Amino acid sequence: MAERVFRDHPPHTGTRFADAFADLVRRHQSMVFSIALHYLADRPAAEELAQDVFLQLHANLPNLKSEEHVTFWLRKVTAHRCIDYKRRRTLPQVSLEEVAEPSAAPARAEDPFLARKLRQVIASLPERPRLVMILRYQEDMRPEEIAEALSLPVGTVKSHLQRTLALLREKVSRSIGEVTI
Amino acid sequence: MTDKNMNLEDELKSALRRQQAPPHFTERVLAQIAEQNSSTQAVRTRWWSIFTQPLVRWAAVTATAASLVVGGIYYRTVQRERTQGEAAKQQLMLALRIARNKLQLAKARVNEINATPSTNRSRSEEE
Repeated sequence: MAERVFRDHPPHTGTRFADAFADLVRRHQSMVFSIALHYLADRPAAEELAQDVFLQLHANLPNLKSEEHVTFWLRKVTAHRCIDYKRRRTLPQVSLEEVAEPSAAPARAEDPFLARKLRQVIASLPERPRLVMILRYQEDMRPEEIAEALSLPVGTVKSHLQRTLALLREKVSRSIGEVTI
Repeated sequence: MTDKNMNLEDELKSALRRQQAPPHFTERVLAQIAEQNSSTQAVRTRWWSIFTQPLVRWAAVTATAASLVVGGIYYRTVQRERTQGEAAKQQLMLALRIARNKLQLAKARVNEINATPSTNRSRSEEE
């Protein structure tokens, strides 16, 4: 469908293109907003960033050939914009070992707060491992796809995944006592 | 799922599942694009609208013509100066060549004079 939209309606022209672009935004807004939200842990900032990404998409649409290309482009641009956004605000970077402990309150698998705790830990990871985790578990992307989107070697992506998972296991296990994950 | 069997990867997928974008997100994006387009159009229109006034149009034509004339005159002056400079350079080169020839002649004459007394001197010694 996207191929037809891109072929039949040159960007910036006509209401049919505007409608097609609006559909494109509706289809991808949840993905873009969620990557930004999970990375920034700040709703207004995530919305602002997501809007900027779609404005950039509108300007770059002539260069995008298909729906798959749009999805890849959006993930890549959102990831890079997240890093830029955080750097501009010069928030302190935390090393993987210094990641904040989730609260010591016991948690269970069905604990509604466990997801929030995981998000907190992920939000406190350094920028690359954080994006790798978000793209892996939010977008279900393969390490090869993540490596391409973030311009990283596949080995580095796999290493980030393994180290972060080990760290999360340790942090969460410690906070919920004897539970093995 | 028991605590013991809790799967971290499933928990992560659940924790990081996609969230709904804020309400009216698409409309806000489209409004921003429309705003950008209209401001760009307005700037473009404002710029061209200056030339709808006859006075400005004539002034622009006059300024263009004047700059062409001045440019032409300046170009010809520069060309003339360059030609004159070339001619002066050629004359200077010629003068230097003549001077060099004269100096070579003088040097040859001096050498000749220097050679003559020594011959005379040897003759007087023989006598």
